[in-house]
Amino acid sequence: MFGKDNKLEKIKDAETIIGASIKVKGNFQGQGNIIIEGSLEGSVKTDAHIYIGDQAKIVANIDAKDAIINGEVRGNIKAKNYLAVGGTARVFGDLQYGELSIEKGAVVNGQLLSISDEGKRGEKHHKEESAVEQQ
Amino acid sequence: MYVYIYDDYLSEGKYNRIIGRVETRLTDLGLSGKIIRLSGIKNIKGTIQSEIRLGAKTIIAVGNNQTINKVIGAMIEADAYGDFQQKTLLGIIPIGDDNSIAESFGIKNENEACNILLARRVEKIDLGLANNYYFLNQVSLNSAGTSLKINDYELEIVNRGKIQIINLLGDKNLSIKPNPHDGLLDLYIKNRKRDETFLRSKKIMINNQKEKLLIDNVLTIDLPAEISVIKNKINIIVGKDRLFE
Repeated sequence: MFGKDNKLEKIKDAETIIGASIKVKGNFQGQGNIIIEGSLEGSVKTDAHIYIGDQAKIVANIDAKDAIINGEVRGNIKAKNYLAVGGTARVFGDLQYGELSIEKGAVVNGQLLSISDEGKRGEKHHKEESAVEQQ
Repeated sequence: MYVYIYDDYLSEGKYNRIIGRVETRLTDLGLSGKIIRLSGIKNIKGTIQSEIRLGAKTIIAVGNNQTINKVIGAMIEADAYGDFQQKTLLGIIPIGDDNSIAESFGIKNENEACNILLARRVEKIDLGLANNYYFLNQVSLNSAGTSLKINDYELEIVNRGKIQIINLLGDKNLSIKPNPHDGLLDLYIKNRKRDETFLRSKKIMINNQKEKLLIDNVLTIDLPAEISVIKNKINIIVGKDRLFE
């Protein structure tokens, strides 16, 4: 799905493409792959992949299966599977991810939280509570 | 029963030979029927509705994109388009220029169109609706200053370029492949910097203070407009080389 430059390879791979000259305001929700090269204010959610281009300016929370961030994001990013933060990215918000990669040069101002760790911690916590109840 | 609707411009002398050839071919194939020439008719809608009531099973638009738009508008009138009319097929015989709709359906020329009518490969096709006007292919306008509202979000377009809301692909050079069976419209915006935007939706509200909306390259309407799509609205006879799946 992703090419060498971590970009969705062809236009046909994306259900939605927001070009660099477009400003989107509101809650943007899709089921397929999304490419955003322009600006967006509000929220964006998809069950598939999202690619944020290096000129993009996002003031929104992002929720996707996989996310590749190369532009500016002011908001929290949640990628259930894989989150890649490119060298040109500037992120001002928390990152939640299944797996994470951050390229040299990226700016990240926020907390990093692994969803799998969170799940394990939640599971462990739940087991401890159960043990206490059994005693 | 076949009813052939000839557009106004076909009365020009330069089309006489082509028309003669088509009529001979149709007769040979056993597809001859009633001919109605739009040049002498003011009430197209009334005429075509009357033919459908009289039992026309196939209405064939003979002409170009504009002809198809006129015929569809006349066939499908929101109030009158009942079950009976939905069984009426639309055929196309392209003659002259501006025949991208026919090409989308895999009908390259008038000779091929006659064979396609005989083969009778029928597909249910979505129809677009811009306010009260039906369109088969697309609506378009210049992008600068246009605002679009889709579901819970709005799109603002600053740069100059072109906006197309497409039901059926009329330009095979476009990088997108709209599907006239999916019940969705394809919004495609391209500006002069070759910046592309693309998304799909069932309904799009569109507004521009200065521009008008061009429907199927045939008529313009004032904005704002609500653009929607009606799934499987019309039965069309198509060729096997159509540009969609």
